[in-house]
Amino acid sequence: MIPRFALARPASLAEAFDAWDATDGDASWYAGGTEILQVMKMGLARFGTMIDLKRIPELRGISLAAGDGALVIGGSVTHREIEVSQDVARELPGLVALEAHVANIRVRNQGTLGGNLCFAEPHSDPATFLLACDARVRLQGRGGTRDVAIDQFITGPLETAREADELLTAVIIPPARSGEGRAYEKAKFRERPAVSVAIRLRVQGGAIAEAYVSVGSLTDIPVLVPDVAAAFVGAQADAAAGTFGEALAQARARLGHLDAIGDLDGSPDFKRHLAGVVLGRAAIAALSEAAARA
Amino acid sequence: MPETIDITLSVNGLAHELAVQANVTIADLLRLELGLTGAKISCDMQVCGACTVLVDGLAVSGCTYLAVDADGREVATVEGLATDGVLNPLQQAFIDHAAFQCGYCTPGMLMSATALLAENPRPSRAEVIAGIDGNICRCTGYLPIIDAVLQAAEAGAQR
Amino acid sequence: MTRVEPWRVTTRPTPPSPIGESVPRRDGVAKVTGAARYATDMAVPGMAWAKVLRSPYPHARIRSIDTSAAKALPGVIAVVTAEDLKARGDINLYYGHALTDHPILADGVVRYSGEAVAGVVAEDELTAYEAAQAILVDYEPLTVVVDVEGALGSGAPVIHEKEAKQGFHRGFDEDIQRDHPNVCSTAVQKFGDIDAAFAGAHLVLEGEYRYPNSYAYAMEPYNSMAEWRHGGLTVWTSCQHPFMVRDDVSHVFNLALANMRVIAPYVGGGYGSKSYTKIEPLTAALALVAGRPVKLVLSIDESILTTRGDGARVRIKTAFEADGRIRGRQAEILLNTGAYAENSPLVARKSANRISGPYRIPALDITCRAIYTNTAPASSFRGFGAPQGVLPGESQIDEAAERLGIDPIEIRRRNVVAPGEAPWPKVRGLDADLQADLSLVAEALDWASTPQPSHARGIAISASDAGSEPVSTALIRIHVDGSATATIGTSEIGQGSATVMAQIVAAELGIPLENVSLLQSDTAAVAYDRSTGASRSTTIVGLALQDAARDARAQLREWAGEVWSAESIEEARGGLVVGGVHRGWGEIVGAYFAGDFGEVVGRGRVRKVGATKQMPPFWEVGCVGVEVHVDEETGQIRVDKLVTVGDVGCAINPQLVESQDLGAAIMGFGMALTEELIYTDEGTLLNGNIVEYRVPRASDMPEYIGIIAERGDGVGIYGAKGGGEGSLNPVAAAIANAVRRAAGIRLREAPFTPERVWLAIRERDAAK
Repeated sequence: MIPRFALARPASLAEAFDAWDATDGDASWYAGGTEILQVMKMGLARFGTMIDLKRIPELRGISLAAGDGALVIGGSVTHREIEVSQDVARELPGLVALEAHVANIRVRNQGTLGGNLCFAEPHSDPATFLLACDARVRLQGRGGTRDVAIDQFITGPLETAREADELLTAVIIPPARSGEGRAYEKAKFRERPAVSVAIRLRVQGGAIAEAYVSVGSLTDIPVLVPDVAAAFVGAQADAAAGTFGEALAQARARLGHLDAIGDLDGSPDFKRHLAGVVLGRAAIAALSEAAARA
Repeated sequence: MPETIDITLSVNGLAHELAVQANVTIADLLRLELGLTGAKISCDMQVCGACTVLVDGLAVSGCTYLAVDADGREVATVEGLATDGVLNPLQQAFIDHAAFQCGYCTPGMLMSATALLAENPRPSRAEVIAGIDGNICRCTGYLPIIDAVLQAAEAGAQR
Repeated sequence: MTRVEPWRVTTRPTPPSPIGESVPRRDGVAKVTGAARYATDMAVPGMAWAKVLRSPYPHARIRSIDTSAAKALPGVIAVVTAEDLKARGDINLYYGHALTDHPILADGVVRYSGEAVAGVVAEDELTAYEAAQAILVDYEPLTVVVDVEGALGSGAPVIHEKEAKQGFHRGFDEDIQRDHPNVCSTAVQKFGDIDAAFAGAHLVLEGEYRYPNSYAYAMEPYNSMAEWRHGGLTVWTSCQHPFMVRDDVSHVFNLALANMRVIAPYVGGGYGSKSYTKIEPLTAALALVAGRPVKLVLSIDESILTTRGDGARVRIKTAFEADGRIRGRQAEILLNTGAYAENSPLVARKSANRISGPYRIPALDITCRAIYTNTAPASSFRGFGAPQGVLPGESQIDEAAERLGIDPIEIRRRNVVAPGEAPWPKVRGLDADLQADLSLVAEALDWASTPQPSHARGIAISASDAGSEPVSTALIRIHVDGSATATIGTSEIGQGSATVMAQIVAAELGIPLENVSLLQSDTAAVAYDRSTGASRSTTIVGLALQDAARDARAQLREWAGEVWSAESIEEARGGLVVGGVHRGWGEIVGAYFAGDFGEVVGRGRVRKVGATKQMPPFWEVGCVGVEVHVDEETGQIRVDKLVTVGDVGCAINPQLVESQDLGAAIMGFGMALTEELIYTDEGTLLNGNIVEYRVPRASDMPEYIGIIAERGDGVGIYGAKGGGEGSLNPVAAAIANAVRRAAGIRLREAPFTPERVWLAIRERDAAK
């Protein structure tokens, strides 16, 4: 059952920080509440004050940054808003596909991308994908604003670099470069992914020039795996090509070195195997997007 | 004990002014305060969908959606689907296809399907499946439900 | 054989309308408008709320319980422990219809993680919850055992140090047999010369199989509300067997049955998991102590800890002739029954009965033992001991077919008992035609054609001695306007009893369906029924209603004779033709009472005599085919096609029969592929919630062909017999058999998770 708490409903960022200051720190921000209310219900967290972020205009909306055209997703934008966004569909179709399979439609209607990242659930779909996409989050506090790369932001299971009184105001994802493809695939047997893999490839002159790979639900937090990614560099950008097959085999072998965690979906061995399967599927999807952006 | 918060919301078109504790969920407000027991509590973890209600047309899990978050909004529940005792095409399709057995999931299933059809009046079979995949039914094996939603879409298209 | 519509096969005579018609469900409008009331929706004035404190330890002695902080919280009305209940002297702490081994609240020792230790009553639910968390319990942990092998091993902790009394509702004739302190009960099924059967066999197959500890997930959690008034007790509860609950609770409180009322409104899912008594004694005890009506609604997480399905380890050995005929079968079934007996002694009895299948087997030697462990109690669950045995039994039939070079359907044809032939001594002959059912499945699956690569088809069959005990009564009151009210003790748990029973009354009285109303499941207001389970209601209660209608008609015939002094009286639809004039039932009632008032009360009953003398009252067969695809990379099995045969004798309402068959099959599909409660060796349940206990979703659904076979061969009215479980029992075996043919692997442990499939594929490849 959700314990009793006091509610603050600020209408601006400034009011939000005032609301925080009015508490003795026994407070939490919330927007959709799909994560935080659930853990409160389970008796795992309790706050004297909950500060609702849904009335703050600065946290809403999806836009393209004026300079580099990066995708900027406001801190209180819901999964569903991303799923149906034309901007996101054009700039980062992999995120739309991912969002369409996050939890269920109710959670997507209610829950926010920002909340998902701040909660740092080890099985988070978006965190895994955004890692490979070189995304960053913008954190704002009384003291000012800072941008933190996702791999610096997620510091542990359910732990982030965000200070309790800081707000995640936006998620910023760099635009795709020419010849770049970004894809996310998962194996899922229950509510959460058993294992997930994201990959970002840049193809130049018919070969893979750059690669970034992240894996989720395999180790205790979603992580970038540079040595796995490196296996792809130099391979032909053709799923049927021999060098690609060799690169994939090499990448899969390197996944085998990860310190995987066994869980309800399987032993570490099985999960590493699954990651390899999903990696292959993601790489092929990324190649096809890269070809479209050539 | 924290103070109550004054909220106004409409439920199935009827306006309510209420003073609620912040921790009260919309499902508890509906079931315990307003006597609308259609929305059901089951998994209590936003997974089963038995508590699905619509807030401004969007399906949410009533078990984990705060009543205060519905302040100023329109809430729709299963009790509001029929008009003057006449079932709507979706409700009728559920009866025609025996798309329920125990009926405990039915209010939530109907509301998810309502949201789906509002957004996509002529869904494909795959879209219907995606639309109700977040609602668990333990009795029927789902196929009658999928058929019922498709029938309702067909009926809606013919009107 | 006529094919009425694509997949309906009917050879029975045509019954009177509306029997055999898919009339709309009579609970439909209530259920699609939100008006249907479940126990969880009930409230009474002055009602307080209860919550339970549960043990975090799977096995521990309770040194002390400090309730002072909880009692001090504002809004708390009562905090109750086993000591408080014992001190009163008016409550029997232990209940259990098979073995009275279950304390209402833990009595000095907890035997599983999640056991109820204390109850709190407060003005609101949150306060009760918070007060429960404020109770301090000092536990002394004891050695834990969670699996059946461990519980029978040397040095295993004894889970019940005191042997419990045998209860009165065991459901079988023999006394409970125990040969080890951790054995809750033992059931044996033995006949023929088993040694000779194996000695002379052409092929002997041996294997070990596992079936998961499971959870029925009735979506309405266990909940009840109790109110004491004038020395009597009323309990509203989500239960299948209100009369059985009445009997159990009356024993707890030493109440006359007449002073004890159990009301089961619409039940939000049962599947066996709401058979028998659950939290009703606790709710009533809390209400008694608090002096207030009390409502206790468990969460689903708590419901998982209240009753689950029995997991099984089965060692099985079957002997075959070279032509595939079965010579004998030997099996040891160990059921993981958890911390308390609940209904597991009967599950054990049925599992022993059902593992042999619908086959002609000359020699059988089966022992099934229900084993106590430090896990949540297991009890009835749809299929009732059958799926645990059908997986091994039907896997071995396919294995034999493969080894002997016989088609899987053909080997079954060579072994199935013929209609009327008894599979074991002293039981009713099979009231089904499995040869014909096998043909139907083969046709629907297109068995003879070659499937796509990585796809394959599989079948499995089963037979369950169903119907429970044939003990039911019914009353039909025909009113002066000719309409009728029937009262029955059958609960509407979603199976459609509210519709089917009304159809039976309408047909038996020849009156329009809309003129029939039903009153169900209120022990103070309706006629006695033993239980709503074992697929029995349509058959057994249907017969009771038929008997009640006959009784009402006989009385009216007598009354008509008296009123009109007619020479000829003949039965007609909706009334009697008296001296050439049609007189409706209502007209006869009015004439008899000389006015526009009065009614006739027809009394019906079924007991173990006549047509329902021989046990089982009917057989419930299962005949299931699937086509599967195996993703050898991820290990995921997808069921592309599912075929079931509802061999129901007479489908009173075909739409409801199909709906039961599909629902049952999909429940079996869940247990075959994903559903398993996973305990650590330390006794912690890892997935006791619906996020991590995965039940089937809409996107998992296969293409489905539901065949209904109506041959009029059941003991029920118009040849009806029960359905709704038969299509669950063979599903895991059918999938395992199909996977064997698709991927060359033999899966012996359900659920067939991706990892288990992957491991089997690796083993297959290593052996190459």
